[in-house]
Amino acid sequence: MRSKSLEDRLVDGVNYVLLIAVFIATFYPFWYLLIVSFNEGMDTALGGIYLWPRQFTVENYSTFLNDPSWIKAFGVSVARTVVGACLGLFVTSLVAYGLATKQLVLQKFYYMLFIVGMYVSGGLIPYYVILRQLHLLNTFYVYVVPTMLNLFFLIIAVSFFRELPPEMEESAKMDGANEWTVFARIILPVSKPLLATMALFLGVGQWNSWLDSAYFVQSDNLRTLTFRMIDIINKGNVPLSGPSGDYASKVAQVTPFSLQVTAMVIAVLPIVCVYPFLQKYFVKGATIGAVKG
Amino acid sequence: MNAETKRLNGTSVSSDSAASRSIWKQLGRQKYPQLFVWIGIAYLCVFHFLPLFGILMAFKDYSVTDGIRGIFTAPWVGFRYFEEFYHDYQFGSIVRNTLALSLLKLIFTFPMPILFALMLNEVKVRWFKRTVQTVSYLPHFISWVVVYGLVVVFMSGESGMINHILMSVGIIKEPIGFLTSPNNFWGLAVGSAIWKEMGWWTIIFLAALSGIDPAQYEAAQIDGAGRLSRIWHVTLPGIKGTIVVVLILALGSLLGGGLVGSNFEQAFLLGNPLNADKSEILQTYAFRMGLAQGRYSFATAIDLMQSVISIALILGSNFAAKKTTKTGLF
Repeated sequence: MRSKSLEDRLVDGVNYVLLIAVFIATFYPFWYLLIVSFNEGMDTALGGIYLWPRQFTVENYSTFLNDPSWIKAFGVSVARTVVGACLGLFVTSLVAYGLATKQLVLQKFYYMLFIVGMYVSGGLIPYYVILRQLHLLNTFYVYVVPTMLNLFFLIIAVSFFRELPPEMEESAKMDGANEWTVFARIILPVSKPLLATMALFLGVGQWNSWLDSAYFVQSDNLRTLTFRMIDIINKGNVPLSGPSGDYASKVAQVTPFSLQVTAMVIAVLPIVCVYPFLQKYFVKGATIGAVKG
Repeated sequence: MNAETKRLNGTSVSSDSAASRSIWKQLGRQKYPQLFVWIGIAYLCVFHFLPLFGILMAFKDYSVTDGIRGIFTAPWVGFRYFEEFYHDYQFGSIVRNTLALSLLKLIFTFPMPILFALMLNEVKVRWFKRTVQTVSYLPHFISWVVVYGLVVVFMSGESGMINHILMSVGIIKEPIGFLTSPNNFWGLAVGSAIWKEMGWWTIIFLAALSGIDPAQYEAAQIDGAGRLSRIWHVTLPGIKGTIVVVLILALGSLLGGGLVGSNFEQAFLLGNPLNADKSEILQTYAFRMGLAQGRYSFATAIDLMQSVISIALILGSNFAAKKTTKTGLF
């Protein structure tokens, strides 16, 4: 091997140092959350925890799990993730299947409508008025009904269905299957990679979403985990306050700050769990997203 | 896309030329697909097209108790709400903040993924490259609320780790009010946007980089080009097209926050009464006026102003891109 020039060494050296810095700046915050969530709140308040929990405890988690309002928020988030992703998956692929049908009358016109719909928006207030008229405000449905058709994935799904060999459909129809059976029994099973991608992305979107909770919901019973977290973060804006309020009487070691961090870990955890699967697909997703049109 | 349009064209031509009787026959055969599509169109009408009529509210004295019908029956007031906003004492700072935040985010967040992609591209150790890259996308998938939480954990007051370290090393004497001082808000917004989205947008540039012919590097090397000059003369020109396309996308959504989006989320979460002077933007103001205070027409007018500016930016950037590089989006 040829010996490296001075420039080569310098570029490599600086490059590695900077990349390690990026790695630490991205990874460390998550690591810090994790160790603080497993450390006694009062002990965390003394400072000096950087790499490892000092006073290991699971009190933060048990406090979280014993707090009905957190459990409720967690439940709402799980419910909207499951229902929202399933509904979005079903409706989006159903419409895409219809739109991808060969020699569909008015196909070009329909296609154009959906593209236009992707780009136009009346803004927040008219949208609010519509939701109000539909009696969706302050209900669970406001989380899952407006998201049931994802126009971006619709376009992707249409081009996916078009690539499927027509013989599959034709032979099934010859055997007397109707469109519905073809869709449910033949098209969906062979579209697993597409459906998995959509489910993951829709699910992550639902799980992280908090704007709709802020805009359209007043009831405390319908707060999502992320939205409820805003409150505790705002309060924990002055951490190191020691045990206070409701939590003080229950567990002395748990502080609002340690509870906030625990909630954050719980909000990130599902994402980290599906991350390997997300990663498998999203390179394609990002590329399509950037060059659509 | 082109092939697709052609195919679509082909089908509609063939159905046009067919007799009307066979169109009905065709429709009868495809009643299920038609039904499926119409489910989607019904959705579109309710959630995308119907709200468009709501824009009328900006020019009317609308009361929310009248529901959708009120949009059409409310009395016209012309440009009253636009004038009211123009004379609002906060008008100047809100418009300034919206433009400043958007431009700063564009200027500072756009080059970062390119730089990061170039850096990763220089790494020959596979596992290292993959590890750094994998971790770098993770923040894209977490909620802005969690990012806000991280900002509070690391940057608030005396207790935040960053102030704590800076103070114990002796760089600063007083803790920096990252969240409480208005002058730090724009920097905070830009910094957190870079942290969250840099890795994600790197993907597309890395994909473009992998398409560069290795022979070009070899040729450059034979000509005596060093590492940096190869990056400058081979790598960067190789991804020029991708950079332009991504830049157009970023310009088109400038007021929403460009590539990284999220102007509203940042201003809403990282903004507070203490830094409101620099953090209040058109979207947060419209939200406060509209949904919090119930001034629907006024808020719609503010929203509409932002949409008009955005459309002008999309058309403008597309036009500029066509002029300079002959690549446009439409």
